[in-house]
Amino acid sequence: MATSDETDDRVGQAYRRRLRGAVGRATRRSRRAARPLWDRFRFARQDLTAATPTLPRVAYIFIAPFFLLFSAFLAFPVFYTLYLSFFEYRGVGQGSLFWIDLGPLYLEIPQIAQLEFIGLGNYARLLSNELFWQSMFNTSYILVIQVPLMIGLALALALALNASFLRLKGVFRTAIALPVSANLVAYSTVFLLLFNEQLGFLNYALAGVGLGPVPWLTDAFWARNTIIAAVTWRWTGYNMIILLAGLQTIPQQLYEAAEIDGANRWEKFRYVTLPQLKPVFLFVIVLSTIGTFKLFAEPYVITGGGPTNSTITIVQYIYRQAFVNFNLGYASALTVVFVVIVSVFSVVQIKIGGED
Amino acid sequence: MSGINISELDKVYDSGTENVVAVKDLSVEIDHGEFLVLVGPSGCGKSTTLRCLAGLEDVTDGSIRFGDVDVTDRRASERDVAMVFQNYALYPHMTVRGNIGFGLKLSTKLTGDEIEQKVENVAEMLGISELLNEKPKSLSGGQQQRVALGRAIVREPSVFLMDEPLSNLDAKLRSDMRTELQELQADLDVTTVYVTHDQTEAMAMGDRIAVMDGGVLQQVGAPEDVYRSPVNQFVADFIGSPSINLFIADVDGATLRGPGGFTYELANPEPVAGHDRVSVGVRPEDITVVEAGQNTADVTVVEPMGNENFLYMEMAGHELTARVAPAVRPTEGTHVPFDFKEAALYLFNAETGDALKTKTDTVDSAVVGTTED
Repeated sequence: MATSDETDDRVGQAYRRRLRGAVGRATRRSRRAARPLWDRFRFARQDLTAATPTLPRVAYIFIAPFFLLFSAFLAFPVFYTLYLSFFEYRGVGQGSLFWIDLGPLYLEIPQIAQLEFIGLGNYARLLSNELFWQSMFNTSYILVIQVPLMIGLALALALALNASFLRLKGVFRTAIALPVSANLVAYSTVFLLLFNEQLGFLNYALAGVGLGPVPWLTDAFWARNTIIAAVTWRWTGYNMIILLAGLQTIPQQLYEAAEIDGANRWEKFRYVTLPQLKPVFLFVIVLSTIGTFKLFAEPYVITGGGPTNSTITIVQYIYRQAFVNFNLGYASALTVVFVVIVSVFSVVQIKIGGED
Repeated sequence: MSGINISELDKVYDSGTENVVAVKDLSVEIDHGEFLVLVGPSGCGKSTTLRCLAGLEDVTDGSIRFGDVDVTDRRASERDVAMVFQNYALYPHMTVRGNIGFGLKLSTKLTGDEIEQKVENVAEMLGISELLNEKPKSLSGGQQQRVALGRAIVREPSVFLMDEPLSNLDAKLRSDMRTELQELQADLDVTTVYVTHDQTEAMAMGDRIAVMDGGVLQQVGAPEDVYRSPVNQFVADFIGSPSINLFIADVDGATLRGPGGFTYELANPEPVAGHDRVSVGVRPEDITVVEAGQNTADVTVVEPMGNENFLYMEMAGHELTARVAPAVRPTEGTHVPFDFKEAALYLFNAETGDALKTKTDTVDSAVVGTTED
């Protein structure tokens, strides 16, 4: 190492001669002091590496755990759902699908279920099922109102929090984002109590200003709005945080350039903020659309899908078919259709929004 | 038409807990069509001054006038200025055409066709016509720089403000753009304030340069005046590359005694009268290597540049740089005698840094200057 230090010194000499000020020298000295220990560690590590035998294709061993877990818990269920959607479920499996007799070791994979092949029967059934269309309508209704409302609100809050004049930004940011940490069932229960028609706080407050009780949970229109209010309350802060992060990445200089170009507040928003925020906006829209489309816990707890199925969502309908009625084949077909719809939504949004 | 008058400008940043003075009592008069360069080290307040001129920062105290108009309290968009930013600040989602035309679209009543025509004229002037439909991210640094310039020029403002516009370009492109920018400014005859930390750029481009340090304007003047007659040690040290050689010497009558046995007899001891110690400054080009002399230094590094050599020397721990003819090439590690003319000598007050004496030697190139006209 001595020789390398010497060359280092000779090369450094010309440079250091010209490097005025003590700063460069000071950092160099402190680096020197820590060097012997660091070097010893580095040599030990290099020796260890040299002594370790190399295994062929060792990289595959390292990545294998992921693929094993992924196959067992994600890939298999996905494909099995698709498979199941062409069958009618008859009951729990009996007998073996596959076995190996190795004397003392007997390996058996049992049949998962008793199935009857019905081709596209499940798909035909869902198209003519009124409750499927009802759940589709409910979900779409909630989606069309809730997502724009929530994102608009989140953007407004993010813009307000990003403004330079506001004090206590951290407090507001945390307070607004806090609902996302609420447990789904717990917060739904709170909403259920708040919106209770006889005992709820909301109707109590309305009565206080002379307004009649609103049938929050027993009227189809109001029940959907109750769900929308709950979901919006929980997720607005989350989206606001993402939009706020996006706002903060917009270079200040663009606003200054726009200011000099004569842009007013609205024009800066229109020509700088919105185009710069587009990728983040798209992310928030796609994520919120998927999230609201998957809506389950809120209607399950707050309205139970009622009154008369007017708030039942697609996922809730799938849940009923799969785990209440045990129509596993039919539920699988519903799931497949659901996944296709969500994917189409996302692709369309990305196609529209992703263009430069 | 529109000169600039900055009068007793103060800018204080109030962070709540402490006040940071960025610019202090700055007054300067800029003539119409003049190219003024604000130069100084990082944090000297030059960019803040420019931003105050642009209207991007409020002024704490003092006034700014463009021509006869007091613009101190006007918004940036009402000042008729155009600014070129260091990072260009092009709108990433707009094409070059959109970027250049944006200001016209927002702040004039021109029709779309008229804007289009102006944009195309400017693009042609800058040689970027074929890039009009590109987005900024597909352009090189030099091309982006041109677009940023185009955006400023197309508005035909009364004042150009430039904040280190060339510092993101590579060396070759930078010197090309330097010339081009000067020609452009001379053609357009628009008052320009140009901020840079690069003294070479300042010397090369400015009609006058204003040297700032610590928020205070040190000196304003033609580049050569500032170089030859700095008002203080800071200006002398900042202007010139390689930097001026500076060391402390004791005054003994007409004799200066410096480190490592350095002695120098002053023919005219008047500037040092009444001082015990002074700061001695010698420009690298004024040091000559001689056959024999009283003062010597150890040569540590010789850098042959082709057209000249830089000698890095040490005199009792004090570094000296000399800029000598390419034929002068002493061996590294040797001891060489050196000398310089008294007329080339700078002397500064050792405590305050104020200039006591500056260059008085005549410039040989004066003849060249007259033939040019």
